[in-house]
Amino acid sequence: MGFETRIINDVDKSQFLVPRRAFTDPAIFEKEYQAIFNRCWLYLGHASELPEPGNFVTRTVARRPILFTRDRSGEFHALFNACPHRGAMVCRERHGKSPAFMCMYHGWTFGADGHLMTLPGASGYAKGFKQDPQKQMTHVPRLARRGDFFFISFAQDGEDLDTYLADAGDYIDLVSQHSASGMTVVGGTQEYAIRGNWKLLAENSFDGYHAACTHSTYLEYLKNANGALGATPLEGTGIDLKKGHAVIEYGAPWGRPIASWVPLWGEEGKVEIDRIYGELVARLGEARAERLARKNRNMVIFPNLVINDIMAITVRTFFPTAANYMEVNAWALAPKEESEWLRKYRLFNFTEFLGPGGFATPDDVEAIEKCQIGYAVGDTGLYNDISKGMARDGAPSYDDEMQMRAFWIEWERRLTEYEG
Amino acid sequence: MSLTMERTIDEATLLRLQVENLLIREADLLDSWKLDEWLTLYTEDAHYYVPPSDVDGDTASPDTSLFYVIDDRNRMEERVIRLKSQGAHSEWPRSKVRHMVGNVIAHRDDGIIRAKASFMASRAKDITHDIFVGHYLYEIVERDGELKIQKKTCVLDMEALRPHARISIIL
Repeated sequence: MGFETRIINDVDKSQFLVPRRAFTDPAIFEKEYQAIFNRCWLYLGHASELPEPGNFVTRTVARRPILFTRDRSGEFHALFNACPHRGAMVCRERHGKSPAFMCMYHGWTFGADGHLMTLPGASGYAKGFKQDPQKQMTHVPRLARRGDFFFISFAQDGEDLDTYLADAGDYIDLVSQHSASGMTVVGGTQEYAIRGNWKLLAENSFDGYHAACTHSTYLEYLKNANGALGATPLEGTGIDLKKGHAVIEYGAPWGRPIASWVPLWGEEGKVEIDRIYGELVARLGEARAERLARKNRNMVIFPNLVINDIMAITVRTFFPTAANYMEVNAWALAPKEESEWLRKYRLFNFTEFLGPGGFATPDDVEAIEKCQIGYAVGDTGLYNDISKGMARDGAPSYDDEMQMRAFWIEWERRLTEYEG
Repeated sequence: MSLTMERTIDEATLLRLQVENLLIREADLLDSWKLDEWLTLYTEDAHYYVPPSDVDGDTASPDTSLFYVIDDRNRMEERVIRLKSQGAHSEWPRSKVRHMVGNVIAHRDDGIIRAKASFMASRAKDITHDIFVGHYLYEIVERDGELKIQKKTCVLDMEALRPHARISIIL
């Protein structure tokens, strides 16, 4: 690897050290774009965001403007949102419904599948100009779905999505099984930024070790709001899902709108939650229903998709624009058929912990930003310690760091492969 | 020669001044981190909301849309308990906060007072200094001869919380 400080992974000494330079060096940051963001499958959006033909969403993925559409026949497309004529961004709205997209610069107009429909002054161009493949909006090289989760890849070739997802695929299926009728992204996006390196948020998203200290005020809140901390202690395991993906699966004292009731929700809530649990058991069997309903899961799909099924379900991506800055988008996912009452409590529950206004995320942001500041002390010979649990016999605990080591090993593998 | 001054004030202007007094008082308490006193400006069934910036914040409902903040009175009190603790790391040491409130419009609507105001809230801490811009939608009621806030919605006139990252202060 081109930078002099590699990850130190010494199983015999139970030592796993990540050079802090990985968080600060602009050259490494640019290499990450080449080796990781231009190669991996990246989350684009959820089918429920385009419920009908003609719907569209614009989104920035790995610094590129993307137009995610559904054409008249209902087929999904991922287009680079730039006009083939002079390069202007074609669709300038965040979301909506439209049969065509007109570039505001010269009026070239494209269909939802990107084909050039009309252009003013066509007689001034050579015959067949309109059909020239170079004059159509460009499709992102690859678009694929796992259930209702759509992913894109900027690489023309490489492994297919299911192979890429490895064991994480079944966890995507699991989060989809909360509902018999399908899951939906609830309206409203939490869009924020963190002044820190993107890999700090990958680590933080499934860090079971930091909760007691970083989130002490949240745990206090749970105790106050519910009369006592719930009967379920924080307890569980970390699971390596291969290819850099990993999850921690654990019990926790907070309520889950999928069948873990807390007193804050009242007696009406208890009846509803019991009904949902009965339906889950009938549909999925006792074992999977129990796991789905009672266990929390914080999953990171390499490099930057987080699906956390905790006090609510959040889907989160984060893309760096510099070594010390990332843009975060977070959505709430919920069963389509959910009652008004439960939807309300789900969103209420989501915001108690998650997001920029929650009782916990701001403190995660504080930790990440303070790490980034701390790295300014110097970059030679300084390492982050990610070894917790290496000396343990048996399965990793949810608050060990196996899941982060899985991320880092894949990160280094991809950078090395790119350079090699 | 005598000079007479008309000292009357029309009802709408009086209402606006009363609401302005309340909003100025609230801003001062928030800027001074007097959060327990801040709570006394609110009714026992109060709500405090901050919608995200990709929905119509004037009409969106926290029952059907993901928000940044969905606080009922109980969670407002818990928010204050949290912000008074050193464990609220993002606000410890406390940030310097300044609310600018203006352009107040108020009218009576079937027993409640609806008010709208523009705000800018500045938060400075460590090496960061962020400014939140938006407008407030208030529902205000009279309780025991005093104006109390029943609902406050902070609609951000921003495209995203970038680079702010967090709404760890009360807007």
